[in-house]
Amino acid sequence: MHFVTKGAVVASLAMTLAWPAQAQTEVVVWVGGEPGQATVYDTIAEQFNAENQDIKIEIVKTPSDLFNPALLPALSSGEGPDLFMFGTGPGQPAAIIDGGLVADLTPYFMANNWGATIPDGVINQTSSGGKLWAVGNEVETTAMFYNKKIFDENGLSVPETWADMSAAVKTLMDAGYDTPIGLAAADKWPVSHWQSMMFGRYAGPDGINEVMFGDGAWSDAPFVAASARLKQMGSDGWFGPNPVAVGYAELMDEFWAGNIPMTYTGPWIIPGGLEAIGDRASDYGVFQVPPFEDGQKIYPTESIGSGMYIRVNSEVKDAAVAFLNRLFFTDQGRATLLTGGTVPVGPLDAALSLADVPQLNQDIGASADQYRGNGTIPAFLDTITPGNLTTASYDGLQALLLNVMTPEEFTAELQTQWQIAKDEGTILAPGGLSAH
Amino acid sequence: MDDTLMDRLRAAASRFGPLSLFLIPTLAIYLYFAIYPTLSVIGFSMTKWNGISPDKTWVGFDNYTKMFSDRIFWEAFQNTFVWSAVIVVINVGLGLVIAALLSRVWRARLILQTLIVLPVVISPMAVATIWRWMLQPKGVINETLSGIGLDALTRPWLGDPDVVLFALAFAHSWSTIGLSVIIFLAGLQSVDEDLYDAAKIDGATTLQAFRYVTVPALRPVTAVVFILTLTTAFKAFDLIWATTKGGPIRFSEILSTYMYKRGALENQYGYGSAIGVALLVIVSLATLIYLRLQTRPEDR
Repeated sequence: MHFVTKGAVVASLAMTLAWPAQAQTEVVVWVGGEPGQATVYDTIAEQFNAENQDIKIEIVKTPSDLFNPALLPALSSGEGPDLFMFGTGPGQPAAIIDGGLVADLTPYFMANNWGATIPDGVINQTSSGGKLWAVGNEVETTAMFYNKKIFDENGLSVPETWADMSAAVKTLMDAGYDTPIGLAAADKWPVSHWQSMMFGRYAGPDGINEVMFGDGAWSDAPFVAASARLKQMGSDGWFGPNPVAVGYAELMDEFWAGNIPMTYTGPWIIPGGLEAIGDRASDYGVFQVPPFEDGQKIYPTESIGSGMYIRVNSEVKDAAVAFLNRLFFTDQGRATLLTGGTVPVGPLDAALSLADVPQLNQDIGASADQYRGNGTIPAFLDTITPGNLTTASYDGLQALLLNVMTPEEFTAELQTQWQIAKDEGTILAPGGLSAH
Repeated sequence: MDDTLMDRLRAAASRFGPLSLFLIPTLAIYLYFAIYPTLSVIGFSMTKWNGISPDKTWVGFDNYTKMFSDRIFWEAFQNTFVWSAVIVVINVGLGLVIAALLSRVWRARLILQTLIVLPVVISPMAVATIWRWMLQPKGVINETLSGIGLDALTRPWLGDPDVVLFALAFAHSWSTIGLSVIIFLAGLQSVDEDLYDAAKIDGATTLQAFRYVTVPALRPVTAVVFILTLTTAFKAFDLIWATTKGGPIRFSEILSTYMYKRGALENQYGYGSAIGVALLVIVSLATLIYLRLQTRPEDR
C-alpha cells in the first residue's frame, strides 16, 4: 500500500510537470510615460487581464524623449513591443511602414468594424496606400489655461478680441505679474504648441493642408505673419522676461501655485494639476485665444495624440487586437480613458454617460466644440512633421523669442528642411482607405 | 640580429604563451563589446541608413564631406571644446588645489572628502534635475544672489546664450570633481614628505612648495585625471539633454547631443555615426597630444 501511495504521488507529480500549463499569451505594450507612473492604460490593462485569464497585457512606460530612440532599434532587431504608440500623419511613420516593421491592420479594421467609430479624418491620418497602419489613440487639443481668481482680482474677463487680450496682459503686468502668459521655452516643445495654433489660425485648415499635402510652403505669407506675431508677443514681454530659460515642469508648478495667470497647453496637465491644487480646481478655467487679426477665425486645435501600431512579426497580433478593441471600441474602455483624461477618437455619447470627467476636461472640450464648425487645425505640428523639421522649428522658435532670427529667416529654414524631407521621400502620402 | 629577435620572441612565447590563454575570455569580451561596436559605427558612418530599414546604402565618405560643410556641426564642435576646456580647468586645476588642501587638513577631513565626493555617486539624471531647478530664473542660485545683494549677477542661466554653456559646465564639474580629488589625494600619499621638508629648509613658501614639489610629483596622476576628465566631458549628454536639449537655439549643443539629434531623433544613423567617429578621433587626438606634452624630454 505504501508503495502504491508513493507511486501515485510520483505519477501525479510527473503528470503535473508534463501536463502543459494553460498557455497565457503575453502582449507587451509600450506607451509614453515615466516608469513607475500609473497611466490610464495600466488601469485598462488590469481590467482586461482580469477579464481574460488567457492573455496578459504588460504595459511598459518610456519617457517621450527616449521613446523613439529605444523603440526603433528594438523593432529593427525583430524584437520590441507587440503593440506600441508612435507618431502619425505624413511626417513620422514613413520609416517604420516603408521598413516593413509594422503590421497592416486593414483586415482587423474590416473584421471589427472599427470604421463605425473612427472618423474619416483620423483614418486618413493613420493610413496610406489604402492600408490602415495604426489606431489613433486619443484626440488632443490645446487652449489657454487661466487662473480665474487672478482674473477676478484684476477685474478681467475672458478676452474675446485681440484688443481685450492685449489689455488683459497689460493689466496683469501692471499688477506685478512679470509673466502674464507662462511659456516653458527651455524645453522647446511647448513653444511648438503656439506655433501649431498660430500657423493654423493664420493659414486656416486649408492652408495647412496645402503645405502638408500640396504645393504650399512654410515660407508663405501666413506663416511669416504668424511668426512675426509670436516674436512680437515675446518682445513685448507677454511670456515674461526669460521664457527661454524656463522649464515646463517648473512653469506648471508656478501656474498651479497661482503665480502665473495664464499658460497655453493641453489636457495632459489636468490630472497632475488637479492633484496639486486639490480643492482649488474651480479657480482654473480654459478659453480659446481670441483671433490675432481682424476677420480671423478661431479654429480649435485637434490632433490625434499618436497611433497604436502592431509589430509586424508579433506572434500575438490577435491578442493585441483584442486589447485594442477593449481600449478604444468598448464603452467601458472609452469611459475609463475619459475618466483618466484621455479623449478617444470618435463619438463619445455612450462613454460620457459612464465616465467621471474632470470639469477642466469638460471645459476644454466645450471651448473647442464652440468653434469646431469653423474647421480644426493640428495641435502638434511637431508630431506629424519629420524630425529634421521639428529640430529646425524648436531651435528657430527659441531664436525668434531671443530676437536673433527674423520671421522670414525662420519660415525659410522650415521650408528648406521640409523640402529636404520631401526630396528624401520621408513624407508619407496618407489615406486611401475608406470606412465606407 | 634577426636571430636574436626571433630568439627573444620564442622565449617570450614559451614564457607567456600558456598564460596568455587566460586572457582569451577577457579579450573576447572586449573585442565583442568594445571593438566590434566601434568598427560597426565606422561602417555605418559610410552608409546612408535610417536606423530602421534593413537596406543600408553605401555612400563612402559622403557623410564626412557633409559633416565638414555642416555649419551646425562646427558650432557643436566649438561648443564641445569650450565645454571640455572649462571642465578640464575646473576638475584638474581646482581638483588638484582641493586635494592639496584636503591633504593638509586632519580634522573633519573625512567629512569634507565625503561631501566633495558625494555628487559623483548621484545619477546624471538626478544631477540634471537638481541643476535645472537651481538654474531657473527664480531658482535657488538667483534667489541666493539676490538675497546677498548681488542682483547684478543674477542671470536666466539656461536661457542666456552667453552663459548657458558655462553654467552647465560648472554643474558637470560639480558632479564629477570628486573623482579628480580622490585620485589626486591618492597620488599625494605617494609624494615623499622629505621633499616638502627640503623645500621648507630651502625657504620655499607653501605656494612654492605646491608649484615646485606637488605639481611635478603628481605629473603622471594629473595625466590620468586629465584624460578621465576629458573623455567624460566629451561624452557628456544627460545633463545637457535634460536641461536645455542643446538650447537656447544651439548655444549648448555639443557633439554628443548633436549626434543624438541627427542619429536617433531624425533617423539619420549614417550621419550620426560619422559625428560619433569624429568625436572618437577628437578625444583620441586630444589625449595623445596631452600625453606627448606631458612627457618630459628626458623620458622620450
